[in-house]
Amino acid sequence: MAEVRLPENRLDFVWLLAAFITAVFLFRLVFIQLVNTEKYKSMADRNRTQVLTQSAPRGRIFSADNAAIATNRPSFSLIYFPGEKGSSALSDAMLDKMSLAISRRLNISQAGVREIIRKASKRDKPARIAENLSDREMLLMSELEAVYPGLETVEEARRHYPFGAYLSHLIGYTGKMDARDWEKFSKERAYSMDSLIGKNGLEKMYEKVLKGKDGGIYLEVDYRGRLIQRLESRKWISGSDIYLTINSKAQAAAEAGLRKSLSKKGAVVAIDPRNGSLLAFASMPDYDPNQFAQPSAERDKKLVLPEFNVALQGTYPPGSIFKIITSVALLESGKIRPEDTVTCNGSYDAGSRVFKCWNHKGHGKADFKTGLAKSCDVYYYVNSQKCGALAIENFARAFRLGKPSGIDLPYERAGNVFGPGPRADKKSYWFIGDTLNLSIGQGETLMTPMQAAQMIAAIANGGIFYRPYYINRIVKPGGAENFHAKPEILSTVSMKPETLRLVRDALNSVIEEGTGYMARIKGVKMYGKTGSAQNPHGEDHAWFVAYGTVGDEPAKIAVAVLVEHGAHGSTEAAPIAKSVIEAVLEEDIKAAAEKSMPSLSETASAPEKKESFGLKKSSKTSEMAAGGQYINE
Amino acid sequence: MNDSLTGLKKSRIDLVMLFCMLALLFLGTLVVISSVSGMPHHERIVRVQLMAIPMGLAAFFAAWKFNYQIFQDQWKFIYGFLLVFLGGVLIFGVTEKGACSWYRLPFFSVQPSEFARLGVILVMANFLDKRIGRIKELKTVIGAFAICLPVFFLLMLQPDFSAIVATFPVVLIMLFIAGASIFHLAVILGYGFISGIFPILWTLISLHPELTDNPVINYFYGLSESWGSAAVFIAAVALLIYMLYLMARKFYVGIPKLYFAVAALVIICGFFSGMLVQSKMKDYQQKRLEVFLSPESDPRGAGYNLLQARIAIGSGGLLGKGLHAGTQSRLGFVPERHTDFILAVAGEEFGFFGMTLIAGLYALLMRRIMSAAKVARDRFGYLVCGGIFAMFLVYFSVNFGMMLGFAPVAGIPLPLISYGGSNLMATMLALGIAQSVYSRRNRFV
Repeated sequence: MAEVRLPENRLDFVWLLAAFITAVFLFRLVFIQLVNTEKYKSMADRNRTQVLTQSAPRGRIFSADNAAIATNRPSFSLIYFPGEKGSSALSDAMLDKMSLAISRRLNISQAGVREIIRKASKRDKPARIAENLSDREMLLMSELEAVYPGLETVEEARRHYPFGAYLSHLIGYTGKMDARDWEKFSKERAYSMDSLIGKNGLEKMYEKVLKGKDGGIYLEVDYRGRLIQRLESRKWISGSDIYLTINSKAQAAAEAGLRKSLSKKGAVVAIDPRNGSLLAFASMPDYDPNQFAQPSAERDKKLVLPEFNVALQGTYPPGSIFKIITSVALLESGKIRPEDTVTCNGSYDAGSRVFKCWNHKGHGKADFKTGLAKSCDVYYYVNSQKCGALAIENFARAFRLGKPSGIDLPYERAGNVFGPGPRADKKSYWFIGDTLNLSIGQGETLMTPMQAAQMIAAIANGGIFYRPYYINRIVKPGGAENFHAKPEILSTVSMKPETLRLVRDALNSVIEEGTGYMARIKGVKMYGKTGSAQNPHGEDHAWFVAYGTVGDEPAKIAVAVLVEHGAHGSTEAAPIAKSVIEAVLEEDIKAAAEKSMPSLSETASAPEKKESFGLKKSSKTSEMAAGGQYINE
Repeated sequence: MNDSLTGLKKSRIDLVMLFCMLALLFLGTLVVISSVSGMPHHERIVRVQLMAIPMGLAAFFAAWKFNYQIFQDQWKFIYGFLLVFLGGVLIFGVTEKGACSWYRLPFFSVQPSEFARLGVILVMANFLDKRIGRIKELKTVIGAFAICLPVFFLLMLQPDFSAIVATFPVVLIMLFIAGASIFHLAVILGYGFISGIFPILWTLISLHPELTDNPVINYFYGLSESWGSAAVFIAAVALLIYMLYLMARKFYVGIPKLYFAVAALVIICGFFSGMLVQSKMKDYQQKRLEVFLSPESDPRGAGYNLLQARIAIGSGGLLGKGLHAGTQSRLGFVPERHTDFILAVAGEEFGFFGMTLIAGLYALLMRRIMSAAKVARDRFGYLVCGGIFAMFLVYFSVNFGMMLGFAPVAGIPLPLISYGGSNLMATMLALGIAQSVYSRRNRFV
């Protein structure tokens, strides 16, 4: 034994250290291999698999009458797969032959094709030789597939909008992701960096619904991305189809009308007053979403889209169409009898200032009906003071001014309510002149075309405000419906039936004998109101709101038209409204005409059937509108 | 002395240690063969591994049969041979991956730095044994490092830093178990800690540039670059410690003057060494440090390897993906997969079960080597086994720690598991010596 005792407890200490380290490692291993193993497993899988995605067809978008507004087109890509690992590389002679055959048939440079294939073969990585091939080119290429192993055509679906700019503000468009989109979508497995996504409108809002599940060729690759083997091919699943409430003819009429207008700027909103569904929704200027179907980086950068949606984001002074609200306020106040007259000689002296009527010659003695029908400003100047500005403001709020319509679209503006209330909030004074301006829709009142359409629809259906909607149903690829729209009542304006009758009567005479004569339709009882919103920056904006009924049936359509700088509602806006209403009521007009000529319908049995079909349809629709009540004249 | 060992039979070989060794060797060979399948020269690697095993076993049996005391007698020869062996590689060796550390022989290559560790352990054990009476003296500690210095210097010339990094703690642990003064070891550890912590702090700050908004941190960061502000820092430290000393005196706290002087010296020397390390650190070493401190800082570059290794281990789950079925290793995502990163392959293919088995076998092996030290017939045997124990501990903790994120990437293999003929030979030789110590024990009970 040694003369100096060794401190063996120190060795024990080192052993304790070793045991402690081992314990820590085991603890850590539990954490990595048992607790987080799923995370690491998926990371390992993502490492080793590479997918050549075949983008699935997006869900199609149809109008109510089954016109396909957004569809998909097959698009073919030619891909070269190098031989699986172990097979010999391409010989030069083979490379030449192959690239020559491809370049001749596709009419592209041989050197380019040769280089792509050579690199792909050398690096063992699959490569896309050509994209977006036509059907004919695809057939030519599939002939080559048999001759040259490794060549393969792959089908993909690309978004296509058959009618171009049609309904573009509602539909939106698809495009490549930008950095912000990628941040949002990168967590979802369904998306890769080059997936196309909805960038605006429906395409964006219903991205999840429209997007199918991409198919693809799954490859196992090594750490340098070299192809090891093909794992499997997965077929895509297409997205769900969306059926809109839009009437394709009415929409076409609205867009055509706006295109023909003076400024080619404006909006048309047509609503079914029975349930709030949108029949037409046009905003000019618009854009062709097909521009993005074939992505080209340069083009994307240069384009500045007219994405401003006039119908929802444009706020304008309502002008004379506001007189509808003022009229309701006057009659509901009980202080004005409809037969009381006001003498208009072209102007009104408010004491501090003289307020003019739009007709400088004056309207003479005007009662309620004349006042509204002829849009006599003096009638409203005088009577608004009787009922008071606050009453008008309250009705403006009841008609949902200053509130978004609640449609399921982004960036909607609420407009502005003008009246003593907001003034008081701003700690400012209200003057008589303000009351006069308010009564004829001038001053600070602002309205969107959407709100104008809601207003006239409420007159048509007796004061009910529905939440506007544009999707009737969503149908899964198998045919199962996963959504069906239900009308939703937001609020109602309580009006005496007498008020409604008087206002409607006056609105009818606007068409029959007043400023709205250009909107007359044979066989339809039309109700409307023109307006011109004063605009300090140029010509006035032209407004027209209208609805029409056929026979005893409730109104099926209410329209608001705004033409920027259109000057006169009567000449610029009214014809557009007429064509839209006509497009919707076409069938009903015909049916009614046949009904009124019994001699014809008796002889032919076919129109009978048609009529009965029409009746069925209407009974169905009235079911849908069960929530609303109708007051028929 | 230790009665817990009384259960041992009077056997010539420690069967548990032998079993651990063979089991680890078997597992390692399986993983190595699996990991290299699909690699360009995998037949050659498998051939070398299969050739190294019998050679390693031969070395093991030779070392076991030999009386280990001969190493004490012949320490001068061992030391001389070691220096010549390490020096020769600088002249006759071949350069691979930027380090001249290989003798190229007809069938295989020999890496002398792997044997250097064992040589240092033997020489150090002799030195400490001779100086055991004066073990508490500073001279002994200085002497121990003086012996290592030529070896380290030659390793530095290759350069093979990881061999130095792995040997240094072994020497420290040997000093510790030989009974060296805790104060001396604490000074060395403190010095090492301070010279290491400064580059780490500086790197950490450089990874978070927003921290430099704070003036104190910014000044501290500036220390790494300007000698002038460094001098101010030194003066401040010296002043602070002097004030502490004065305070201790005032309150009659009986701390010797020497301690304060040494503390100041350690901090100042450590600081300068830190500056030196910071300025001499190679780019790739700096990167490794950064990646260790913040693995997300470079997911495509240096962090990539660690991340891929982690993914491999984690994706193994409880039972692993099975031999030859690990995608991470088979498809080349794990780098150096048959040598330094072998545990990633083991973790992926054998899972938690396999990793626990390897760690457990290692712990048992270390425990048996420690027991051999305790029953040694002389101090030399005790110290040699302690050194071998320390060597395994260092390898084990650095390699596992690197895989699990406790230590930065260091090119250190895992003995008995990793591929590498020289490492296997040196390891088996060391285990043979441990068995030799065990079989020649005299504390039979």
